[in-house]
Amino acid sequence: MVRVSNTPSSRPEVIQSLIDGVDRYNPDNVSILEEYLAAQCSNKECDAMANLAILKLYQFNPHLTNDQVVNNILVKALTTLPEPDFNLCLYLLNEQMVTEEPVVRLVALQDLIEQACFADFWKVYEGDDIYKELTAEVLGFEDLIRNNFANAIAMTFQSIELESLQAYLNLKGQALTDFIKTREWTEANGVVAIPVNKDNEAKTTVLTENIKFEQLTKIIGHSNDA
Amino acid sequence: MNYEEDIDIASEVDLVVSAYPVQDDGLDEELLAADQTTQQYQEVQIPEVVKNFIVFFHRNILENNVYELHSIYEHSFNKLTEKFYAKESWPEPEAISPLVNDDQVFLTLYRELYYRHIYSRLTPTIEHRFHSYENYCDLFNYILNSEGPVALELPNQWLWDIIDEFIYQFQSFCNYRNRIKNKTDEELAFLRDNSQIWSCYSVLNVLYSLIQKSRITEQLLVSKNGGDMQEAAGEYGSRPLYKMLGYFSIVGLLRVHCLLGDFTLALKMMDNIELNKKQACHHAFSHILTFINRTKQYHTRSYQHDQINKKGDQMYALLTMCVTLCPTRLDENIHSQLREKYAEQSNKLTKPEEALQVFEELFLFACPKFISPNGPNLDDPEVMNLTPFEPVQHYTKIFLAEVRHSILLPTLRSYLKLYTTMGNAKLASFLEIDPEQLRTLLMMSKIRSRQTKWVSGTLLEGEYQGTSDLDFCLKEDMIHIAESKVGRRYGDWFLRNINKFQDILGGLELTTKA
Repeated sequence: MVRVSNTPSSRPEVIQSLIDGVDRYNPDNVSILEEYLAAQCSNKECDAMANLAILKLYQFNPHLTNDQVVNNILVKALTTLPEPDFNLCLYLLNEQMVTEEPVVRLVALQDLIEQACFADFWKVYEGDDIYKELTAEVLGFEDLIRNNFANAIAMTFQSIELESLQAYLNLKGQALTDFIKTREWTEANGVVAIPVNKDNEAKTTVLTENIKFEQLTKIIGHSNDA
Repeated sequence: MNYEEDIDIASEVDLVVSAYPVQDDGLDEELLAADQTTQQYQEVQIPEVVKNFIVFFHRNILENNVYELHSIYEHSFNKLTEKFYAKESWPEPEAISPLVNDDQVFLTLYRELYYRHIYSRLTPTIEHRFHSYENYCDLFNYILNSEGPVALELPNQWLWDIIDEFIYQFQSFCNYRNRIKNKTDEELAFLRDNSQIWSCYSVLNVLYSLIQKSRITEQLLVSKNGGDMQEAAGEYGSRPLYKMLGYFSIVGLLRVHCLLGDFTLALKMMDNIELNKKQACHHAFSHILTFINRTKQYHTRSYQHDQINKKGDQMYALLTMCVTLCPTRLDENIHSQLREKYAEQSNKLTKPEEALQVFEELFLFACPKFISPNGPNLDDPEVMNLTPFEPVQHYTKIFLAEVRHSILLPTLRSYLKLYTTMGNAKLASFLEIDPEQLRTLLMMSKIRSRQTKWVSGTLLEGEYQGTSDLDFCLKEDMIHIAESKVGRRYGDWFLRNINKFQDILGGLELTTKA
């Protein structure tokens, strides 16, 4: 599977030429990028490269900074962990912004996700209304996060207790059963079996040397000379 | 005419030279007026050999004698610096102006060296910083905005140093601007009134303009995909001066973006440069370190020697962190060097209680000197009382927050290596954590053992692949562990030696024929 995380297929031409050229430094273009972010928030896509371009403009022109936009960019970046997007965004924020309340809260969530403390993540997230407010503008935030957790689980486990799964995914009853079904996992006697994939199969391999023909061209050339 | 001989002769007039009063430039008190007043008594102070050197230098610039300029730039200038200007600045540009018929282009180039020398040997004042900036503007303006391409030709090393120094002075200015605590009111006023000087926008503008003018991106695409180079390069880009400045500006942008913390954009800059694209940073570092190691003997006398060694040490430091965070096999030579330099740190990095401190030390030693793009807000009356924003600390904090999660992983790894199957609870008791914590640790370790690896396309694309030779899976509470073994590699060694042998044979045949 080729993953091209940095260019979603839906990236419009305008955005592409904007972030490729020197126009990305033109403060007048910030609104185009901000609108594009709003579109990403409602259609569940994420274009980290374009969003970093917004933060770059804010970095050079602090007076342009729109806190809500920064917030949404960070929330979006949470949904792409373990991609490095979130930290890449943090590096572009100035120190004052990093110490402000909303950012600190989101960093706390990032911390839990990065450490794969999935159950704790949901506890913290559900424990205070502020998190739902912060993530309100990013449509489907919980589902995106849940999917990422499920990916990590599928990479690690071949089978897992239903009870743990429930805590990791924050789903119960029918919702959990449905989720298991869409993932093509199977449940029996309180244990969920996850089909073998290339990440969860732990096979002992011996890597042997593989000499390609191209490496030999020079030597074959020599034998021709003689 | 060879100047090195002249310098030897000059040693005989040493006495005369050292009798000159040490130039106490009044720049500190008299900001701008100083330039004019120093001019008169400067002229008498220039030693004859330096005068001759400047005339000779000027003539070679006029004649575009790149070969001679190379030796002037790399050797004569440095020798004269050691001799006469080790502790003071070179003669004021105004003072040498009559020697070169007031040739403005030459004076601009001379100033480039003049200020660079001040930056490297003395402490630049705020005026030096401003004037040097203005001089760079003059230089780039001349190159970019003359009618048609300019006829100037300079050695590649100098062109590289121009871009390098331009960015260095930008970085140095940003750091200088950030420290407002012990600045005089005059200096603050100066900074406030001249906010466009050394601004990010102006620096980026120069680098992007050089890239555009030289059509270097188009040229690189042609050299990669084929096509008409002449057409791609155009009127400007076909001249070495423009081509090289454009190429070096791409590398320059990589550096500026790194300094500003925009690592994605930094990488994007390198899209069209032919890199030996390999997995992750280990290999890039290993590659360069092998190069440094092998060329070491050739560098021992060069003035860049110390800098190369310093960069090498920094790379070893980064590599030490890389192999801790993501264990991989290294080249045998590199590995032994690494052990020699950073054995102690390497060892500490695997110990949870000491790791963070060592990570911090190594990071601070090796990281770029990050800059803040805007500097403090000088219009804010409160600004003097605020603690200034230190970009390096900011970046270090984010970096440490990231590695903090990883500090248990080396221990976990060392246990996993001993078993093929193991109960969750048992391993948890070894690690002295509770079983649920261990599970999250295992999931995190799993996620961290995968990374995006470049396969094809632009530098920012890649496939998701495993990096570790140790893999595992969980079946409920049982951990199953598998280790990949790497067979010995002979092919590369034999290929290299067969080729070497062929070269020797070829050489022998030539000599016998002759």
